[in-house]
Amino acid sequence: MPASYDVVVIGAGTGGYVAAIRASQLGKKVAVVEKQKALGGTCLIWGCIPTKALLEHAHAFKIVQNSDEWGIALPYGAPAIEMRQVHARKDKIVTGLTKGIEFLFKKNKIDWIKGTARLAGKGRVEVVDGEKQTLEAAEIVIATGSSPRGVPGIEIDHKRIITSDEAIHLPEVPKSLVILGSGAVGVEFASIFRRFGSEVTIIELLPRLVPIEDEAVSAELEKAFKKQGIRSLTGTKVTKASVSGAGVGIEAQGPDGKTQKLDADILLVATGRAPVTTGLGAEALGIAMEKGYIKVDSLYRTSVPHVSAIGDVIAIDGRVHPQLAHVSSAEGIVVAERLAGKDARPLNYDHVPSCTYCDPEIGSVGLTEAAARKQGYEVRIGSFPFGVLGRAKMAGETEGFVKIVADKKYDEVLGIHMIGPRSTELVAEAVLALRLECTVEELMRTIHAHPTFSEAIGEASHAAHGAAIHM
Amino acid sequence: MPQMGESVAEGTIVRWIKKVGDQVDRDEPLFEITTDKVDAEIPSPAAGILTEITAKEGDTVSVNSVVGTIQVAGEELPPPASAAGSRPATARLVVADAPAPARPAALAPASLHEAPARDGHRHKSSPLVRRIARENQVDVAQIAGSGLGGRVTKQDILGYLDRGEQGEGGRGKGEGLSKESGPRVQETVRPSPGTDEHSEIQPMSAIRKKIAEHMVLSKRTSAHVHSVFHVDFSDVERIRQEKKDEYARLGAKLTYMAFIAKTVIDALRRYPIVNASLDGDNIVYRKDVNLGIAVALETGLIVPVIRNADEKNLLGLSRAIADVAERARGKQLKPDEVHGGTFTITNPGQFGAQFGMPIINQPQVAILGVGTIEKRPVVIDEGIAIRTMAYLTLGFDHRLIDGAVADQFMADIKQHLEHFDPNQV
Repeated sequence: MPASYDVVVIGAGTGGYVAAIRASQLGKKVAVVEKQKALGGTCLIWGCIPTKALLEHAHAFKIVQNSDEWGIALPYGAPAIEMRQVHARKDKIVTGLTKGIEFLFKKNKIDWIKGTARLAGKGRVEVVDGEKQTLEAAEIVIATGSSPRGVPGIEIDHKRIITSDEAIHLPEVPKSLVILGSGAVGVEFASIFRRFGSEVTIIELLPRLVPIEDEAVSAELEKAFKKQGIRSLTGTKVTKASVSGAGVGIEAQGPDGKTQKLDADILLVATGRAPVTTGLGAEALGIAMEKGYIKVDSLYRTSVPHVSAIGDVIAIDGRVHPQLAHVSSAEGIVVAERLAGKDARPLNYDHVPSCTYCDPEIGSVGLTEAAARKQGYEVRIGSFPFGVLGRAKMAGETEGFVKIVADKKYDEVLGIHMIGPRSTELVAEAVLALRLECTVEELMRTIHAHPTFSEAIGEASHAAHGAAIHM
Repeated sequence: MPQMGESVAEGTIVRWIKKVGDQVDRDEPLFEITTDKVDAEIPSPAAGILTEITAKEGDTVSVNSVVGTIQVAGEELPPPASAAGSRPATARLVVADAPAPARPAALAPASLHEAPARDGHRHKSSPLVRRIARENQVDVAQIAGSGLGGRVTKQDILGYLDRGEQGEGGRGKGEGLSKESGPRVQETVRPSPGTDEHSEIQPMSAIRKKIAEHMVLSKRTSAHVHSVFHVDFSDVERIRQEKKDEYARLGAKLTYMAFIAKTVIDALRRYPIVNASLDGDNIVYRKDVNLGIAVALETGLIVPVIRNADEKNLLGLSRAIADVAERARGKQLKPDEVHGGTFTITNPGQFGAQFGMPIINQPQVAILGVGTIEKRPVVIDEGIAIRTMAYLTLGFDHRLIDGAVADQFMADIKQHLEHFDPNQV
């Protein structure tokens, strides 16, 4: 007799494990099939958690590097980064969190089945390795996620030409590092390794860094990177990259059409992530796909009844679906509630916060100024620099600003874009403002505590309505 | 006012069964309410003496508001905030875990032309929506909210403005706003000096207002099309006569409606699109068949729902239909029994109508009207015969269902009624 479940979730990443817990809370009998040795998926094991841990090390190191200014005496000479301890601390954090999910699974009586899943016909999931068996499932949720995507013509050897999967484990700080792609992954590793001492060059095909962010944010980041000694080659295309001797030889064509040669110890390819569906048997089951992604509707139903999909592996409504842990989790909750017969509502993808943990940090939500103008809004802008704030001066973090994009007609807050200290935390207020359809005036009348970084939001809203108080 | 089900926000007190000074037992009927869903008797939450009635008959009050006070003998409850010292312990009706400070004014009878207390509940919106409403001179209460807890969102109000629902006077100053959309009516009696003394004016009941709103909303929402089929019930009639007594012995009444319901449910299984709903750009196929049966009451119309009707056989359906109809007439339905339907059957034929053109019960996409069932002459082959006949009408939403599909669905029903499977009886 095959084991039978109300819901079988394939993949224990932030989408899958959250869906499993929510479904279990709502009374469903749930199993999760996961091929990795630990729970948590990309976010916990390969992505968010390890990279942000490394960034905290970089931040700590930054303080120590400026020890003179802080009045910290270093009697044994110049500080150095000790990668073995960095990795030990990072790995301890990762392990602790994955164990935490194991605990949550036990608490919620969710069966963790170790192995690789394949869709084996209607209501059946076959575990093809590990704990081999066939599971019966009234409902199946595919949450197989994504893995780093390469670039045609560049062969990733995982030693010299690497992806983020290897970058989080680099045993030593490379002398020189070239990063291909300036999305979140690219600029975060640029910040980490520059702080650790690498010569860092970022190559971006599009004309600016972090191209999905507001243009002002991109410009501010490029300025900050330049100050830190990170070289940004925007509008530049890598035409060739090959391992040569102990390094990588790279040829890149700039916006002027000229080709230049770069040498680096390591080339990090950070050009995006591709859906993981190999061996899943999705197409064989008749699930409609779109460029390799699983097509779903706004409540995550695939084209096959009783099979849902969430997270990085999906394409929804033909629009770009953000591959973010918090989006996957939100989708996991929606799908579980739908399967449990609750009143599930589609998510609003216009209100997804985007956080990039480079130095300085970026936090944003909603429309950029350009997007708002393109959509026909008469736009009102309010900006305020963090550097003016007492709190920022104390922290020694005076770069960046908060920029509010609003609709002139009804005063609606359309987007808030921040670059600077604690921006990834401050964005929470902005997300709530959009979710609750806040006007700039309401934001302006909201009392922001002093002294905090959040004062920049209050001031930016004043600026949108004429003038900030402290400018 | 107790919570009556998830979708009920307020109710109107029709009648106090107990008077001030009366002794009441726990669970003894205390007062009668009418809500937009259902009429019901409200049992007492405690035993004691009814010492105060703050919401009088005719008042509309929101859920969880205080409508009266019961003095509980020999029990120590914290006195209301306004009372200092040794007032006897009281049970504030309905407010269970959060004894609000006594606010006698809150539920004081509204003066004649004041809007009742409902407003506070209806106006969930956002700063942006209020701003848009102000600039466009729109009353937010007029707009159906699609957000959590019925919150009116930006999309709702912009859609409302786009559809021009604010009416002709909408952009004028103030007044035009509340008059426009048909279903909203003056809340209370307000005899104008010009009224003819031979006329009598009565306020609409809550249920009447709700029906009015619902019907106009449906007409505005769905692209109604009707298709009428003439169906021979002779076969059904024969089976009914044969089995009537057997069913009676089992305590059930074998009616035409049971046969029709059974046939419709089976057809819905074969045509899931008729058992669906529209949700924005998505079609929601409902896996369960929750069958609504329209029941005429003295005060209006109510549609109790038989949940999972597809799991019942003819006997079960007969019982369920009789049960909900009887409880509907006796005001014994629970609010949750009157929503969640996926398809509705209505029976205009019971008073002799040949056929009706029913309005769809939102958010469903089709409704079946049953005309009167009677003997009629029909041509069979080359002869004229007397057969038991009835017109069945399908009202369907052309946004989702095309004529061909609707007619196939109806042909399926006709076929199965005219050759009713005796094994199902």
